[in-house]
Parts: sequence; structure tokens; C-alpha cells
Amino acid sequence: MKISRRNFLKGTATTLFLAGFNLPVLANNKTKKNLVVIMLRGGMDGLCAVPVIGDKNFEKRRQDLILEKTIKLNTDFALHPRLKNFHNLWEKNLGAIVHATNIPYTDRSHFDGQNLMESGGHIPYSVKTGWLGRGMKVAKLKGDGLALALPMPLLLRGIESNDNYYPAKKSLPKSDIIDVLRSVYKDKSEHELAEMMEIIYQRSMIKMSSSSSRNNSSLAFKAGQELKKINGPRVAVFEVGGFDTHAAQGGIDGSHSDSLIEMDDIFLNLEKGLGKEMNNTLIVTLTEFGRTVKQNSGLGTEHGYGSAIFMGGGILKKSQVYTDWPGLKKKDLFESRDLNSTIDSRSIYASAMSSVFDIEFKEIQKQVFWGDNLQNLSDKLFKV
Amino acid sequence: MKNFIRKVAFGLSPNEEVPSDPLNWATEQIKNVPELSWKGKIYTEKELRKYYGEYVYGDRKVLRKKYKNDKYRYKIEKDKLRHKTGQKFWSNLELCIRHTEAIESKSPVLAKLWYFWGNHFAISEKDFLARYSTGAYQREAIRSNMNQNFEKMAQEATIAWPMIHHLDNEQNVGPNSEKGIKRRARRKDASINENHARELLELHTVSPNSGYKQEDIVQMAYIMTGWRPKWGKTRLETGDVHFDSQYHQPGKKKVLGKEYNNGKKSLAVAIKDFSNHPSCIEFIAMKLCRYLITDYPTKDMIDPIIKAWKKSDGYLPEIHKAAIEVAFNYSEKFNKFQNPENWLLQMVKMADINLIPSPDHMGLYNLGMKPLKSQRSLENLLKELGHHPYLAQQPNGWSDLSQDWMSPELLIRRLVYAKQAYFKMKPKNQNNEFYEEMIAKNFDKPEEIIKILAKNNNPYHKHVILFNLPEMLKS
Repeated sequence: MKISRRNFLKGTATTLFLAGFNLPVLANNKTKKNLVVIMLRGGMDGLCAVPVIGDKNFEKRRQDLILEKTIKLNTDFALHPRLKNFHNLWEKNLGAIVHATNIPYTDRSHFDGQNLMESGGHIPYSVKTGWLGRGMKVAKLKGDGLALALPMPLLLRGIESNDNYYPAKKSLPKSDIIDVLRSVYKDKSEHELAEMMEIIYQRSMIKMSSSSSRNNSSLAFKAGQELKKINGPRVAVFEVGGFDTHAAQGGIDGSHSDSLIEMDDIFLNLEKGLGKEMNNTLIVTLTEFGRTVKQNSGLGTEHGYGSAIFMGGGILKKSQVYTDWPGLKKKDLFESRDLNSTIDSRSIYASAMSSVFDIEFKEIQKQVFWGDNLQNLSDKLFKV
Repeated sequence: MKNFIRKVAFGLSPNEEVPSDPLNWATEQIKNVPELSWKGKIYTEKELRKYYGEYVYGDRKVLRKKYKNDKYRYKIEKDKLRHKTGQKFWSNLELCIRHTEAIESKSPVLAKLWYFWGNHFAISEKDFLARYSTGAYQREAIRSNMNQNFEKMAQEATIAWPMIHHLDNEQNVGPNSEKGIKRRARRKDASINENHARELLELHTVSPNSGYKQEDIVQMAYIMTGWRPKWGKTRLETGDVHFDSQYHQPGKKKVLGKEYNNGKKSLAVAIKDFSNHPSCIEFIAMKLCRYLITDYPTKDMIDPIIKAWKKSDGYLPEIHKAAIEVAFNYSEKFNKFQNPENWLLQMVKMADINLIPSPDHMGLYNLGMKPLKSQRSLENLLKELGHHPYLAQQPNGWSDLSQDWMSPELLIRRLVYAKQAYFKMKPKNQNNEFYEEMIAKNFDKPEEIIKILAKNNNPYHKHVILFNLPEMLKS
């Protein structure tokens, strides 16, 4: 039997926090798969998060920023010691890294870079939708997006009716007020407003106690709980800021670590919220650029090029650092200063969408990324 | 008729009469640009830029080095520097000035159109522009030109310091310019940055409908090379914008089929040409209709504005007059979903809510202080509503389309802050009589609304419902 939306809402009103817009239209025997994107704003330093082991060029250029007690991942790479939760995932084959990768953007402006990481384009501001929104459009996932942010990020633009959740600092008015508006919207045939108010009404039924926090850990836990529902959202987007560490980037407890820990907590709480649906989920990170190999005089790093991507969830093939490592000798660096990017990170995102949304890679490549020359990495990174 | 007053302005406050001739009431307001109504101190863009420079230099060149080993101390010192340069204060002051025009001035229609133009020539969130410069830019380059030709506004907005910095024109270097050749000899990057040129064409003037090609953008970028701030060792990029021929790409350029000479004058000539281009006129006429009337304006709406533009040679008061007349003619049939800021201002005005901190209160601020929470209330509120006018995410400004404002969280914020606003009302107004009078004054079908509200006796409930009714969200 196909459950109607109304019945569903009635039946689950006490547990429903963030209702999706859609009817549960999944075919009976098909698993619901989720994609989560964590945007790391400010330029995540892939070399701080996933340092290379035993490279003299690296140690020399960053002598004051070298981390102690890193977690060895394989013969070549280690993990920042504060990324404990990610390491747990790694141990369970639920965590992987792509290194020396980034969007094909080399001009080092946050402003332009963040626009391109979200639009997936080549020219800043020329594309007004996001690659994820366009991918969802191809997969016909209207009403399946959830942004844990306000306003709606560009990344999700391109498909209608996305939901967002980012609790207000003050509480909602009483639910009977909301109920009046809900019926007024219906009576006046304000369909869009009515649809929104239905969701808001359900939210208002939940006691908003200390749990309505804006911090990413608690947002991640809630998002995880929603994603695991059969008719909940299938795509979620997070934002973490503060990666732009021009000074006092520091070692284990430096400012870059603070932002990495925030990201690490999202992984942990998504897993907690998702429960066993973590197995049907893929989490990927996204940043505008990496940072210079060399430390600056303020013991920070400048804007660079190549960075790394963290991935989590059971859709991953295995724990691995997937890379075509370019090396850190001066001649190997981009413009003699930055870690190079040998993999267009959009290849990873296109492959991720292809695997999670069950759409041919070529279709994504063509419709989302204008047929750009991207590699299909699905079989290398994900369970196909 | 009453909906029209909310459509082109912010409704009527308790002490305002319903105008007998609303159209005339509206068009009288746009002929001149009166002094701002804010009674407190107003700072120039240039004064505020000095603080911007102190902050950027102080952080980049001093603090980062001094506290390289101590992230906590670095954060503390950076906060001190923020307050020393007024970083948390200026935008709040600017919002007071901005909102006073909507709520207290005699020309709220002009204010609503001012917001349109500020968003058309948007400075989006970049570096610390919103913190120091954007509000002042919107007063000086935008508002003060609202009784001029479109061309003049476009000229001044284009070479305003905040715009040049916002769209990276300081990085736009002619590869064959004097400096470009030297830079390349030192193996440094010397190339054009197309950003500003593209947005000038795409967003500010002729729009993609003009059919420009990538080569037009490149050529336009060449024309714009050399327009940059005077650079200083400590003031960095914060000097006045000037034309530095050492960065200018030599030779003739060709944009949209027209040839432009080498040198300083070509930018102004090009902007003049774009301002008179049919695609520019049509684009902006459409945008005005979209802002005031409907997401999808019809040709019949746009045409009278185009006609007024051509007849008056782009004189903004005539263009505005035509747009308001069209809004008036379509007032019954079309309602426009109001963006959060305009919605807020309508509520504040109609319910006489004490929202804007007074000039005296703002005047208590001294540099070095952290502004009081009450002095930062407007900025916090607009952020919470999801629509801080100086923090658009992209150079195309905030959207004029209702779908971009329809998300559960954005509508929740309107519920939450309608509730908050109720508790800032004068106690003498928190009663049925007040609401009935306000509704009668501001809505075309007051009975219908009063009927809906009659189901609730609690004035606070009434307030939240009223300001979230479709009649209120759209006007």
C-alpha cells in the first residue's frame, strides 16, 4: 500500500522533526541512499589534515607546523591526531580520503573559489545553480534536499522545494497560531505556503528544548535521524568555517585543528543519527582550495591549490587514501608553492552522485558538468 | 488602493492618514532626493574606508606576526582591533539610517526604490566590505543619484571604491601595459581579471540578452584595466580609485561591435553606450516590475517603463514614475511576495514597533567599545530573517523571486520575529481597536482579515497571524 502523505504525517507527528516534501515514492525493493556534503569554507589544508609521512621537503617548509602523534594510515600518509571519529570510521572501512585534489580553480580568492566549489563551473558567478542541485534535478529528487544552514546555499540551487533547518535563536510561537495559518493558507489555495506550513507545524509539535542548538554536532545528529527515514531527505548539506588560518595555524591544538574537529564531530554525529543507515550513506567534504606548503611568517599558511577530500559511510568501497601523488619538490608544486591537484575533485562528486543517485556517470557528466573531462571513479571509490 | 501603498512603500503608520490620491502621493516622493532623515552622525565612505584599512593592515601585517604562536591571544587582539576600528558598529549605524528612510521619512517610496538600486548594483559579502563600506556606498553612489540619469548612477557605482574592490578590478592588469610587461619579466602574473567587466555587462547594464560574447568581456576588461585604488604600504588597497595608465592595456578595444580608444575616457564612453542600449533599458524595466509587481512581468507592464526611459533619456525620476504607475494599474491583480527586510519594515511601520535604535542611543558608541547588544539589534534581526542587505552571497544581489524566499526555515523566522516584534510594541497599542484601525488603513479587504483574526482573542496571537497572512506576505 502506498502511504499517503497526510497519513504519514499523522502517524509520525511526535517523532518527525524535519519532514521531507515528498511522498515516499521509492520502489519497494530499492534501498534509499543518502548523500551528505560538508562544505569546508576558508581553504582546508589537506597537508595539515592528512600529512605525508617522511617527506623532507614538507618537514623543511613547515618546520613549525609539523604535527606530533599523527595517526598512521598507510606507508605514505597519516591522519591529524584530533580526527579521532574519522579514524574510527576508517578502522571500520567506513572512511576514505582522496588526496591532492581540488576543483579546477587556481586564482586563490575565497570569494570566487567558494562560488566555484558550489556551482561546479569554471568562471566565477557565471553559473547560478549548484552542482548538487543540478545532480538532484537529473535524479528527479525534488524536495529531497536539506540544508543545515540559512540562507539556502548555492550548492543546492537548481532543484525546487529544498528544506532547511537552522534553529532560530528564539522559540516558535504556539502551535495553535501555526495551525490557524496552516488552515488559512489551505483555504486561500496558497499551495506553496501551505506546504511549508505543514512542515513548520510538525516542527512546532516537537518540544524545542536544549536540543534546538545550532552547533554542527547537534545539527548532524538530527540530520542523521531524518536521513535514515524512508521518506526523509536524501541529501544534506553542512557548512564549517574557519579554515582560513593565515596565522597561528599551530600544531595539534592550532586554529586549523579547531575547524577540523568541528568537521570530525559532524562525521560522528551523522553516524549516531543514521544508525545502520550509515551503510547506505555517503559523506563527502568540499573546499575551495588547499593551502601553501610553506608556512608564512605568522606561522600560518596562505591560499593554495590542491587539498584533500574526506569521505565517510558504507557506500565507500574501502578505507584508502586514493591519490595520484604529485610530490612536494619545488618543481612538483603548482606555481612552485602549492600542492598540486592531480584529480579534478568534480570527478569525485560526479562519481558520488552517480553511485548514490543511481544515475549513469555519463549522464551526470553531461547534464551537471557540461561534459567536462572528468574521470569516473565510482568503481575505485564506491561500491557499485 | 491600500495594497498599492504597501506595494510601493511600507504601508501606513498609526499617525498617517490614508492619502486621497495614492498615486500622486507616491509619485510626489520620487522627484527629489531629500536629506536623509536620520538625525545622528553620518560618516562618509572615505572615512569608513580608513577604518577598514586600519583593520586589514593591523591584522595582516601586525597581529598575524606578533601572535604567531598563540591562537588565543591572537583572537583576543584581533577582537580588540575589530572594536578599535568600529567593525561591529558601522553596519548597524548604516541600517539605522537605511530603515529610518522607510519608517520615518516623508519619502518611503523613494526608500523602497533605493533598496532596489542598492541591490541592483550589489556589493556582496566579501572581505569586510559589509562591515565598513557597503552602507555608505549605497548612500553615496546609489541614493544620491536617484534624481539623476541611470547613466550617472552606473558611472559612479562602477568606479566606487567598494565596487572596484568587490569585483577585483584592482587585479585587472593589461598584459601589455607598462606594469604588465615588467611583471611578466619578473615572471609574475600579469593578466586581466574579467570579473568586474562581466558583471558590468551581465548584471548592471545590458544583461546577457544583449548577446555579448566572451570576447566582448575580454575587451571590456581591457577597457577597465588601470581603474584601481592608489596603493600604499600601510593603507594597502584602500586609497581612492583612480586611473593608472601604467596598468592600462594599450590599443583600441571593441565591445558589442563598437570601437573604443586607448586610455582613461573609454570606460565612461562604454558605460554611456551600455546605458542607452535597448537590452539595458528592457532588463532594468523588467527588474523594476519584478521587484514591485510580480515574479514574471508581462510585456504590457514593461513597455511603459521602456517608453518613459527613452523619452526622458534615462532620467530616473521619470523611470520610477512610470514603474509606480504600472504598479498602480496592476495593484488589484498582482501581489508581490515581499522579501524579509521589506516585510519587516512594513510590520514595524504599521504596528508602530520600536525597532530602530535612536540617534542618541547610537551616539553613545565610542571606538574601541564593543557595541551594546541594543546597538546591534538591527543587524542581528536581519541575519536571523535571512536577509541582511549588505550580505548578499553573490554579486547578483538578493533574489527578487518568491521561490528563493520560500523555505521552511525562512518562514519560521517570520513567525518567530513577528512574535518578538509584538513585545516591542507600545502597550497602549496592544489591543483590538488598534489592530482593527491598522488593518482598515492598510488592507483593501479589511473585513476578511478581521474575520480571520476574530477567532483569536489574544492580541499577541492576532499579531503573529496577521503579519503572516498571505495578504501581508504579499502586497
